[in-house]
Amino acid sequence: MKFLRLIFMLLFMAFPLIVSAEKAKTIDELAKMYDSSSCKECHEDIYMQWEKSHHARPLMGVKGGLMLTPLAMKGATAFSPDDPKKATAKNYPCFKCHLPQAITSAEDSVAVELTEALLTAADASKTDKEKADAKAQIAKLQIGCIVCHSDKAILHKRELGEPQKGVLYSSKAVAEHGDAMYKKVEKSIVMKDSLYCGQCHGLGPNLEFDQPFQCANLYGSYLHNYIASGGTKSCQDCHMQKGDHLIAPNWNDDKGSTELLKKALALDVETLGYDWLRKAKTYVSKVVVNTTITSTAGHRVPDG
Amino acid sequence: MVVTAKHKDKDGKDVESKQERHYHPQATNCRDNKMKYGAQWKVANIRDTSIQPMKPKKETIEFDLPEGIRAADVTVDLFYELGNPDQKVPIHTVSQKVLLDR
Repeated sequence: MKFLRLIFMLLFMAFPLIVSAEKAKTIDELAKMYDSSSCKECHEDIYMQWEKSHHARPLMGVKGGLMLTPLAMKGATAFSPDDPKKATAKNYPCFKCHLPQAITSAEDSVAVELTEALLTAADASKTDKEKADAKAQIAKLQIGCIVCHSDKAILHKRELGEPQKGVLYSSKAVAEHGDAMYKKVEKSIVMKDSLYCGQCHGLGPNLEFDQPFQCANLYGSYLHNYIASGGTKSCQDCHMQKGDHLIAPNWNDDKGSTELLKKALALDVETLGYDWLRKAKTYVSKVVVNTTITSTAGHRVPDG
Repeated sequence: MVVTAKHKDKDGKDVESKQERHYHPQATNCRDNKMKYGAQWKVANIRDTSIQPMKPKKETIEFDLPEGIRAADVTVDLFYELGNPDQKVPIHTVSQKVLLDR
């Protein structure tokens, strides 16, 4: 009896592994698995805002750059693979936030393809078309609707379990959702909370890796400076007003970035001109400039 | 932030003096003391001069003028640098004329 129970337990444990074994082998497969383009049919405004956001280009950096290139280059970082053909997800710790679906839903072959594309895009000996094609392939990897509204939507997994298949999560529940794959929308209890954004927007060094590294500190700054100083607003209160999915800033938009920074940072300047008496009968003509920068942001500036 | 004072020298030539202040977290790899840029190299902040919420950042910047020079044009430029000093996003520019004589 004990033996049979053990067999059943092993089968039960193995079953989810079999299901989750269906992983993307290529960038195209991973992009298709997380394709959000059907969301546009009903949520056009939100989709268009997202398309301009950094979430839509998490591997592209700003102004068309490719932020992961050093990780693909042999010897450039502690994470870089010696051979592009042997690249794995471990070579890309940035996946933790910049492409979380690659950790849960991609084979290492996706890391190989990404490495080769990054190297091609940076290779001066390649043609412009080859470089543009490589870049376009990398651009398919996005933080789309499904990443945030499914994979990342539940934080209290011990109490609430994993996100369910075929269910999206949002700030409001929708009993009947008119989508072929996601027929239901459940309420996520954390989606309006800064904690939700803090999943990726950083506390400080990522010490859980075998080589620590540090990207954004934004959430740490929010907790330890803004909240500690009596702040009460959430990330969403300022960066997602009226449900805006641009989630500004969009650093590719110079004018919009200036406007946002102007709103967040006030500069006061006071000047004084006088003759300073350095010693008896010795005056120095002095100009004093007093500046005060006041921030209404809920986090340090700059950060990410 | 760049604070510029433009004034004349004793010979009447234009002189421009600049002082800069840099506001940002500064990290190393914690294996040496060289600041690193880029998440793949940074490990932890060792200094943080960034602009913090609810904590006004105050500076007093002084310029000494040459003897006999009684005026300067002061400009304060506050801008955001994206990836490097060439990628500037302007925020505020404030100009004031400073006179030493009443």
